[in-house]
Amino acid sequence: MNAKGNDLPSASDIALSRRAFLKSSGGLVVAFNLFGPAVAADTAQESVAPPPAGNLYAWLAVHPDNTATLFTGKVETGTGVQTALAQIAAEELDFPFDRLAVVMGTTSKTVDQGPTYGSMTIRYAGPQIRHAAAAGRQALLDLAAKHFGVPASQLTAKDGAVSMLRSASRTITYGKLVDGKRLNIDIGASGERFAMKLAPKAHLKDPSTYTVVGRPIARKDIPDKIMARFVYVQDVRVEGMLHGRVVRPYGVEATLQSVDETGLKKIPGFVQVVRRDNFLGVVAENEWAAIQAAAKLGSTLNPSGPDAGQAKWSNWNGLPQMDQIWETVRHSGGRDSSAVSHGSTATALAHASRTLKATYKTPFQMHGSIGPSCAIADVKGGRATFWSGTQMPHETRRDMAKLLDIPLDGIEVRWFEASGAYGRNGLEHVVADAAIMSQAVGRPVRVQWMRWDEHGWEPKEPPIVQDLQAALDDSGHVIAWQHHMWIPTTADTHLTAAALIGRPEATGHIGSAGVPIKYAYNFENADVAAHDEGRVGLLTAWLRSPAQFETTFAMESFIDELAAAARQDPLAFRLAHLDDDRAISVLKAAAQAYGWQSRPAHANADPSGKHAHGRGMAWVNRDETRVATIADVIVDPSSGRINVGRVVVAHDCGLVINPDGLKNQIEGNVIQSISRTLHEEVTFDTAHVTSRDWQGYPILRFEEIPDRIDIVLVNNSPEHMSTGGGEPSTCPTAAVISNAVFDAIGVRLRQMPFRPERVKAAMS
Amino acid sequence: MSQQITLNVNGDGHVVQVEPDSMLLYALRDNLGLRGPKFGCGLSECGACTVLRDGKAIRSCITPVSAVGTSRIITLEGLGTAEHPHPLQQAFIEEQAAQCGYCINGMIMQAASLLKQNPHPSRDDIKKALNGNLCRCGTHMRIVRAVERAAGRANG
Ligand code: FES
Ligand code: FES
Repeated sequence: MNAKGNDLPSASDIALSRRAFLKSSGGLVVAFNLFGPAVAADTAQESVAPPPAGNLYAWLAVHPDNTATLFTGKVETGTGVQTALAQIAAEELDFPFDRLAVVMGTTSKTVDQGPTYGSMTIRYAGPQIRHAAAAGRQALLDLAAKHFGVPASQLTAKDGAVSMLRSASRTITYGKLVDGKRLNIDIGASGERFAMKLAPKAHLKDPSTYTVVGRPIARKDIPDKIMARFVYVQDVRVEGMLHGRVVRPYGVEATLQSVDETGLKKIPGFVQVVRRDNFLGVVAENEWAAIQAAAKLGSTLNPSGPDAGQAKWSNWNGLPQMDQIWETVRHSGGRDSSAVSHGSTATALAHASRTLKATYKTPFQMHGSIGPSCAIADVKGGRATFWSGTQMPHETRRDMAKLLDIPLDGIEVRWFEASGAYGRNGLEHVVADAAIMSQAVGRPVRVQWMRWDEHGWEPKEPPIVQDLQAALDDSGHVIAWQHHMWIPTTADTHLTAAALIGRPEATGHIGSAGVPIKYAYNFENADVAAHDEGRVGLLTAWLRSPAQFETTFAMESFIDELAAAARQDPLAFRLAHLDDDRAISVLKAAAQAYGWQSRPAHANADPSGKHAHGRGMAWVNRDETRVATIADVIVDPSSGRINVGRVVVAHDCGLVINPDGLKNQIEGNVIQSISRTLHEEVTFDTAHVTSRDWQGYPILRFEEIPDRIDIVLVNNSPEHMSTGGGEPSTCPTAAVISNAVFDAIGVRLRQMPFRPERVKAAMS
Repeated sequence: MSQQITLNVNGDGHVVQVEPDSMLLYALRDNLGLRGPKFGCGLSECGACTVLRDGKAIRSCITPVSAVGTSRIITLEGLGTAEHPHPLQQAFIEEQAAQCGYCINGMIMQAASLLKQNPHPSRDDIKKALNGNLCRCGTHMRIVRAVERAAGRANG
């Protein structure tokens, strides 16, 4: 233990945070109090480097009033991981959950544990935090051993205090033991980010003794969100801050010809136009002035052309034709990779007595956050501070160093939660917008995108086309399976602002998804491969279960087509072709909870009925989490409208940290994926996205939600490692609905979304 | 030109210096520093900005300050206090009815307006009342349950 005294750099701020969270109901976490506007103005002299991963103080602080703070480079995006990670830490630390605050994301206070994405937080950051907290518990026992003058083996820790095993009345709190000092203790760290291993020697609790992990504890963030006390990134205000708005090109790659500033000065509060190459923005003393000025330059919901506003753009029309998009995708360059290739699928297909063939198509979709992206930047000289809701604060810090040519040591990203993002939306991009504007005006600038900036410019999920073929033998067994997919990138991390200032390669790259599917059927001959492409048309980046939502739609609908062709029950048909025990158990659990009766699809159909009822099932293995979903639908044949009735989800992500938090996530995944299945398609002309608001891009509304969502947790026990829950239950939904619609009306829907007009067209 | 305008918000008179044709949402957020009402679309399409005007839900993103007059505006901050949360707030916490929570201001304010007019709403009444409010996280099931719970409590 370092005895240099209370050297935690921001001890007073932590105290502030602690008071605030203890005052509010339920032991809330108020990371923002660490960096409120009052302290935001001048941090120029402090080091902004992240703390060293191998030191305990990088993860934990214990305060004199016996509260504590967990520090994590992971961030909350509405999924409840803040609470779950706090449960893991409180459990191993033997500390009261309600007295443990969590500071997330801020780059000067936390270690880079990798971005918060891919349902990987509990799986990878969970063990890191578990080990750090266990090391913390050991450190406290060592301190107490000194205090009591006995070996640590004669001590026991519970609820934030250490007592002597033999005389329980001799007890001391963690707060008293630490006495306001920083936990400057080497715990050992190796590797980085997701692969980082911490405190390898820490003694971990026996999971069978868990009292905090596994409980449906109320989420830390919810009361403040309900009581209007929560500070979202959209709520942060910084001393001396101006308001900025972007004015994006009319056509995606149009160049800026001229800017007529007439009338802007008359807008009260207008400060200036920021123009750098094709980057255009305005800054003003107040939001309304910024909005008015941006509107004059052309930032409106439906601009009528490249020279409709006072900013004139070249007439760029380089996007593919929307109705040709899948042909474009099919013929775009890329790299082939194979997930499975065994037997000789081509031969089997050529000689089988019975073959089936189908093509599945899915459109561009968007994240569609309810709160548009927002960030504040303060760029001055060799330093830059950002207030951001990014899912990757440490990456953003590195990106901004490159974009601004400022040494990393001068850059801090202070993280605040944003409106849910469900992947990479505009939150990373708006940081760059704010950076460029702040650099131009020499003051902090808050940029919030308008609705049409978000709909128009957030990175999208790409359109995907998939061809499937299979052969059945005479007994209805699948003897060959071919699944080929054409997938534009889901990981293009180039920043739009960088491209607009003429430095497109300053940051980011185009990542490859490989074959985004987990093939698990045991067909004799199988060929599953992807053609993995670069950008096709619009900027695309990961959206909840990137590409696997779409590949599951194709795989699990086509399996259903085969089962129907073989006149077999869809559950029995799947089980007959599966070896994966955990897949089998979620399918059976879902079927049992649903009350599944064995029969082939569309065997009960009553074509005379006004409303046709159907049931459908599908399952997925996404990064080792298995999910099986069954749902009922009602199809109104006269309107083509589909309604989802009851939904049953069996979910196996191993040991669940917080069952209610997970259920909240599963419900969210189900509803969001019903929305994607029934409604969602980004529209565009050859210049730009034309679905620029919620009318153009409708999402599911209350009157369309399912009647109920029943959830069964499978393998929720310590012998099963915790895997992710943020995304996987999105994957089965489109196939479930497509299969249920077939069951109801005997029509296959192979193109998303299943809007009424498409259903009617398929019926006729 | 910007003007001094008096707004009655959460029971108090506040003088704000704004453009009369600017929208109420910005006066609440930027001049009064309130966080309940949110900017979601600015187009009256999502409900994130909802406040009560004389007890009825309105969308502050399309309501010019000049149109507010002497009517009484209540925001999420004014609905309840930490000691005495509004029954809806209590119910939303009990049902854990939030994911990111960005839409929740609108859900609670719209539901407050509904419960004033119809203290005994059916599930369909609730869905109908909230149909114009968007939630992207898919918290709908819990939101409906929370409103039912609050209605049950309010009804005794
Ligand atoms: S912000 Fe007012 S309705 Fe969307
Ligand atoms: S809870 Fe995130 S938008 Fe509703």
